[in-house]
Amino acid sequence: MTRDASSRLELLRGTLELLILRTLLPGPTHGHAIAKHIQRTSEDLLKIETGTLYPALYRLEAQGWISASWTTSEKGKRARYYKLTARGRRQLVGEKSKWDAFARAMRLLLDPQEERR
Amino acid sequence: MRRWLGPLAWWLQRHRREDTLREELEFHLAEEADERRSDGMADEDAAWAARRDLGNVTMLREDARRLWTWIWLEQLAQDLRFALRTMRRSPTFTAMAMLTLALGIGANTAIFSFMDALLLRTLPVADPDSLVVLTWRSRPFDMRGETFVMRGINGSTFRENSEITARIFPFPAFERLQQAADPVTSSLFAHFKGEVLHIVTNGEAEVAQGEYVSGDFFHGLGVTPAAGRPIVNDDDRPMATPVAVLSLGFANRRFGDPAAAVGQPIRINNVPFTIVGVAPAEFTGVDPSIAPVVYLPLHSREVSPDANSYWLEMMARVRPGVDVGPAQATLATVFDQWVATTATNDAQRQNLPRLRLESGAGGLDTLRRRYSTPLNVLMGMVGLILAIACANIANLLLARASARRREIAVRLSIGAGRGRILRQLLTESVCLACISGALSVPIAFASMQVLSTLLANGQESFTLHADLNWHVLVVTLGLSLLSAVVFGLAPALQSTRPSVLPALKQALVGEAIRSTASRTMRVPLMQTLVVAQFAISVLLLVAAGLFVRTLMNLESVHLGFKPDGVLLFDVNAQQAGYTKEDIAGFYADLRRRLAMVPGVRDVTLSRNSLVRAGFSLRLIVDGKRVDGSRLMAVGPSFLRTMGIPLVEGREIDERDRPGRQMVAVVNELFARTYFGSGNPIGRHFSVGGGPQIPKPGERFAQPTLLDVEIVGVATMARYGALRSQTPPVAYLPYGDISFPPIAQMTYALRTTGDPLAIAGIVRELVRRADPQLPVTNVRTQTIEIDRTINQEIIFARLCSAFAILALVIASVGLYGTMSYAVARRTSEIGIRMALGARSGNVAWIFLRDVCVMAALGLAISLPIALVTSRLVQSFLFDVRPNDPYTVMMAVVVMVGAALAAAYWPARRATRISPMSALRTG
Repeated sequence: MTRDASSRLELLRGTLELLILRTLLPGPTHGHAIAKHIQRTSEDLLKIETGTLYPALYRLEAQGWISASWTTSEKGKRARYYKLTARGRRQLVGEKSKWDAFARAMRLLLDPQEERR
Repeated sequence: MRRWLGPLAWWLQRHRREDTLREELEFHLAEEADERRSDGMADEDAAWAARRDLGNVTMLREDARRLWTWIWLEQLAQDLRFALRTMRRSPTFTAMAMLTLALGIGANTAIFSFMDALLLRTLPVADPDSLVVLTWRSRPFDMRGETFVMRGINGSTFRENSEITARIFPFPAFERLQQAADPVTSSLFAHFKGEVLHIVTNGEAEVAQGEYVSGDFFHGLGVTPAAGRPIVNDDDRPMATPVAVLSLGFANRRFGDPAAAVGQPIRINNVPFTIVGVAPAEFTGVDPSIAPVVYLPLHSREVSPDANSYWLEMMARVRPGVDVGPAQATLATVFDQWVATTATNDAQRQNLPRLRLESGAGGLDTLRRRYSTPLNVLMGMVGLILAIACANIANLLLARASARRREIAVRLSIGAGRGRILRQLLTESVCLACISGALSVPIAFASMQVLSTLLANGQESFTLHADLNWHVLVVTLGLSLLSAVVFGLAPALQSTRPSVLPALKQALVGEAIRSTASRTMRVPLMQTLVVAQFAISVLLLVAAGLFVRTLMNLESVHLGFKPDGVLLFDVNAQQAGYTKEDIAGFYADLRRRLAMVPGVRDVTLSRNSLVRAGFSLRLIVDGKRVDGSRLMAVGPSFLRTMGIPLVEGREIDERDRPGRQMVAVVNELFARTYFGSGNPIGRHFSVGGGPQIPKPGERFAQPTLLDVEIVGVATMARYGALRSQTPPVAYLPYGDISFPPIAQMTYALRTTGDPLAIAGIVRELVRRADPQLPVTNVRTQTIEIDRTINQEIIFARLCSAFAILALVIASVGLYGTMSYAVARRTSEIGIRMALGARSGNVAWIFLRDVCVMAALGLAISLPIALVTSRLVQSFLFDVRPNDPYTVMMAVVVMVGAALAAAYWPARRATRISPMSALRTG
């Protein structure tokens, strides 16, 4: 199920924040779930290091894009749940459109044939 | 705002944050483990795998904390706390390190403060950088021939490489340059310091330094008076009303405040002047070596119109936008044309002086020329002291770092970054250095006082004042930080070298078994430092030896007179208003009064004291002009008072007064030079010291020749500075010489007790003879001689102190290194002794190392010493720079100190009990 390390992708700088914000869009959740969600949804191509996840979460919190509160998890344990704030939502929209444009540009440049079709 | 407050808020609640992080990570771990369990892993494995997956928690925590910014500040505070705690834990080490470093930094700061005062201080006037000093250069000249236009010199000339340079000019040159300089300079002014002045205000007399200035002096410098007005062009004309500007200090001392002084009368050299202004407090003239109390117009004294007589100093202010280059070109052209007109023959035309402009921002360079070389030498020495102190601390830190290897290895292995530990170790070094730097400030201050006293050596007019200003303190701080990096970096790098495992293992297994790699790596560094310290010590020892030998040679110079128990003082009755006719009578009368003081055995007087003498006139022996002889104008019983024995004949006494046949006593060299082996008594010669009789058509009247009969021959007595050769000397009665006119005289009193004990009585007696005749420069003959070799005394004392200090620091370093080596090899020695090694063999293990280090130190330093000692050659007297005796002494002292320092640790090694050594090992 897990792919070997060599086929894993390095996260581009600054994309982790975007992914976290996107993961939180459906609703609040805790750090571990965020990491797992990203890993599974990307079919294990992206693996989030704990060492980078939590600092990123604190950074986003410091920016005021997400807010955190302690709640009891579905399994009955105390966990820190992160929730998208209004500003975070705006940020997500902005970053996503930037990323879309970037991705389109990359695709146009790398696979000109494919896109023309 | 948010950018700053955000971090601040975070920082304030950092403890809560850390709890949050910890709890959150625990939750993360639990979730991860759950998940793995549900994948079918065993409980324990799952937890372990989760833990492993999480990675370096400390690092993660640090990363998270870094977000809460100000982390560096927090870490700094942590490091500082840790550093202070470490220092407290080893107080002896810390105290030693701080003391040596504080001494090193303090000495450097003190010398630098003098350099600062000497080289970096600018005149306290508006825009000092646009000021220039006018100087000339010429081939080395002599005054005797007719090959140079410089025929009269009154002022200093300096030898620079193969040329002579000076900043004195004839008055006509000043007039010419002033007219022509307008396009390039906004002002060109002249000044002349002259002899000390006799100054009377409110009936109170004193002798002090003055300065004669041209009318544009104050305007050109841009100095605004504190009260009244400056001297202006209208004051500086022949026959103008005599006016004076006082220094603020003098005005305050004599009149209470500057405003009260303006308009008051003042008598200077017995001529009435009116005070028109007072100079501002910070302004003390353009020559940092003197502090004039009064400024007078140039034309209030006689201004020689002689175009071949060089005496007047000049400065100028270059116009804004004009560079020094073009200004010099313009002025040099004018001067070249003018000076060519003063030449009278082809040789003179070949040898004309060339004008040059030098920077005038710092005023005249008198002090710089006098002190910069000695200060450079001292600076080099204190630099070596600091280097030795740094090497010493580096060594102690290395020894300690190996004691801390385990601590550091543990910290590295639990995830501390190497950079982080390096930073912490360097923080310790910087902390140590900064505290030492702070401690060094009082040391520097005290050293500056001592050095000032040494340099001034009783001179009333010592003007090189150093102080602790901000650039000196910045240098101190810089030195502290630099030395911290120098002594801290190598040990820090070495102890954090990422070979964690051996250190951990060794800590478990014991000191004796260690990887050979780390041993070969570290020990040479410590030993290298010891070798370097010894090399530097040898350099300082050689220097100290050379200076001490120089001083000893100077002190044992044959004087030919008895300096002990002689009191000297100066008076100048001419300035106080005595005329040519009554001055000799007054001096003779004063001598008779002094002879009656109880405790005075003999009294005499002369134009100058023996060691400051340097007086000559035209001398004609057997109808031929002779050069190279010197004269001494003396009063009765001069030889007896000074303790100069007569070879034959009689000495000058009270019978020898004007009107009778003029007599002379000559020294043996004089007799031998001019009269060979014949008896000189009764022989005659002529001396050009008679009255000047003007002839028509001559601007300067030659003094007439006086016929002199030799009545005695004296043994050789020193004449002039101790370093110079004693020339042929003739002693003549002072009253017979009317040119140059009698002015200042030096009285010499041979006393039965302490000469200074009667100084008060002498002053009182002179005051009674004439209340307006100040007694100046009261000193004993011994002190006067010491003053002439002041620099040698300072060098010998300071350098010996430096050498001893260096040797002590180096010995402490060696002691520390050896103690460490003995401690480290305790079990090895135990084994050796258990196997039958004798204590001599054991001691030899260590002493051999010391001998090798000492030999290496010598091998490095001796060639350096032989080369560098040439730099101080000009300070030496009768010693060659590579004096073998001195070098031998240095070697013996150094090796002795090294063995002494190594003796105790080596002895401790021989006392090791094999049993206990093996057990603890």
